[in-house]
Amino acid sequence: MRLSHLLAAGAAVLALTLGSGAADAQALDRILKDKKIRITAQVDSAPFGILGKDNKPTGSEIETARQLAKDLGVELELIQVSGAQRIPALLSDRADLAISSLSITSERAKSVWFSSPHGALSIVIGGPKSVNIKSAADLAGKKIGMSRATLEEQEVPKIAPPGTNIVFFDEHAATQQALLTGQVDAIGSAAFLINDLSKKAPDKQLEVKFTVVTAYYGIAVKPGNFDLLQWVNSWVFVNKHNGVLAKIYETHTGVKLVDLPAM
Amino acid sequence: MRTFSSNEFMFLLGAMRWTVVLSLIAFALGGALGGLIAILRISSLLPVRLVATGYIQLFQGTPLLMQLFLVYYGLGLFGLRLDAWTAVVIAYAAYAGAFLGEIWRGCIQAVPRTQWEASESLALSYLQQLRYVILPQAVRIAIPPTVGFLVQLVKATAVASIIGFVELTRAGQLMSNATFQPMIVYPVVAALYFVLCWPLSLWAQHLESRLRVGAAIGRAK
Amino acid sequence: MTYVFQFGIVFDRFHELLQGAWLTVQLSAISMALGLSLAIVCAFLRTTGPRPVRWIVAAYVEMMRNTPFLVQIYVIFFSLPAIGLRFEANQAAVVAMVVNLGAYATEIIRAGIQSVPIGQIEAGRALGLTRIQVYRKIVLFPAVKAVFPALASQFILLLLGSSVVSAISAKELTAIANTMQSTTFRAFEVYIVVTVMYLAIAVAFRGFFAAVYWLVFVRGRA
Repeated sequence: MRLSHLLAAGAAVLALTLGSGAADAQALDRILKDKKIRITAQVDSAPFGILGKDNKPTGSEIETARQLAKDLGVELELIQVSGAQRIPALLSDRADLAISSLSITSERAKSVWFSSPHGALSIVIGGPKSVNIKSAADLAGKKIGMSRATLEEQEVPKIAPPGTNIVFFDEHAATQQALLTGQVDAIGSAAFLINDLSKKAPDKQLEVKFTVVTAYYGIAVKPGNFDLLQWVNSWVFVNKHNGVLAKIYETHTGVKLVDLPAM
Repeated sequence: MRTFSSNEFMFLLGAMRWTVVLSLIAFALGGALGGLIAILRISSLLPVRLVATGYIQLFQGTPLLMQLFLVYYGLGLFGLRLDAWTAVVIAYAAYAGAFLGEIWRGCIQAVPRTQWEASESLALSYLQQLRYVILPQAVRIAIPPTVGFLVQLVKATAVASIIGFVELTRAGQLMSNATFQPMIVYPVVAALYFVLCWPLSLWAQHLESRLRVGAAIGRAK
Repeated sequence: MTYVFQFGIVFDRFHELLQGAWLTVQLSAISMALGLSLAIVCAFLRTTGPRPVRWIVAAYVEMMRNTPFLVQIYVIFFSLPAIGLRFEANQAAVVAMVVNLGAYATEIIRAGIQSVPIGQIEAGRALGLTRIQVYRKIVLFPAVKAVFPALASQFILLLLGSSVVSAISAKELTAIANTMQSTTFRAFEVYIVVTVMYLAIAVAFRGFFAAVYWLVFVRGRA
């Protein structure tokens, strides 16, 4: 395509003039020196991250972040992000770590570096009882909502038959509202989220229709931050063994943590 | 099940504070930038004018959301470690600077040409002409549209919610999610914005009508 | 580690962005036409309607002008279904854009109407024209001509503001960009390209408005 070549050339010139960012190989040193670590907090993603009764962030991933900062001996700064910004927040150096139920995928691993997993989740299709969906084939003709930059965004289109109307929202908050207000027939999301919603809004009669994929999620760092990743991996290892991670997970999800494979 | 009550309302009010703070900081910084842009825009040097015009065209010709995304995602790539607050403030200040620059340029140029000529004949330098003769007159004309723009800026801060910045709109979304009562939460959020903006709008209208009356009296003399 | 720009990823999928841009243009154009029509009616009611009607129009205008467009979209998409009004994303976007633009344009056209000399209106009435005929044949044309630049600016603001309708899943330009950035993680590259696209669309619309002005108000009356 002619036009795109021209645009690419212009863009390349722009890129050259803008230059490029600096390295941050000593991320861990900096964090220890500043006595502060910045970790992403996604608060519209129950039970991983929510606003508690007092409207303070909580949830399994937020508590994991708190525990990690405590063990590192530094102050925790929660960087509130929407789901779509978990990775950009790292890449644009707005956060040191992403601890926001970020499933480990080979696609994402091209952009960020993952630690060993510290939790597991399954992506499902969920919706009201009245909507007849039993398997992927039933998605045809239905409007299915999901949030951008999620595992469901990657996986659901692969199993959806032609004629499925998939619509994307920028964040879970909007996706959930779309489900609850009937703007979509069903949504793709973590199973926990559907269970949480059905408990909080029993009148909507929400249920899990079927499981799309299961995944492990880990802690992500910006590529290049070897020292930080190394420390995080050690931390995950220690807290897997002493049961702290399992306890946080079970407290918030109500489900026993499965055996986590090492990476 | 949680319902929308005083606790949730207080959360919205608390978040509204950030809407106000962001608006004011962006307005102050954008004002400083806008003043500079306005002066550059009326410069007698063509390249200077072109830079200022280009800046205005760029920010008035592209969506605020894109400007926000670019600053938010972009600055970090160049080794600038900014927290979300700083990034958002920079984006809004740049946006406000473009609009205020253009508004104020119009106001400066609304001062009759003869005023420049008269002050020049008094052997005032360019900056003196601007400072003692032109700007005092331009400021009077500029106040109503400037207050009007402040309303636009307050409303524009809602867009920051899209990048996860917690202000009134984002708080509304979170509360709507916590209570499952969007039919209550969003109208309340809208009402809170209205409470912020309407007095400003009325003030701008009032200032404008007073200015118009003043101008009419001036002509009658 | 230095950041390496990769615009290639964006241009490989440029056709998707073009589709999004086309929807942006469509949504904006429809909203401009409908919003202007709404404003012409509202401006008429606001200036010559009975007092309660004038009040209602004024309340509508103030409500719209003093609340953020994004919140208006959320109310239309997420709140209205509770009272049985359900719009799908594109419809909700158009409805929001029309009522938003309608309010601003009402005020702009009202200012234009007030700039029409009262003598012309009285002359029209003296010729036995009805109020609506006077409005249509005598007042509207010079009023719109007088405020055309302000209307055009408002249209451009609407076009640029339409980028936030991605938040309710409309698949316009910003939405496509968001999806692209979430799958390629090339946020900066994607948004640079899309920003330039918006700029181009805005310039094209400005050119179109200038042409309309010339055809309707300059040449049409020569």
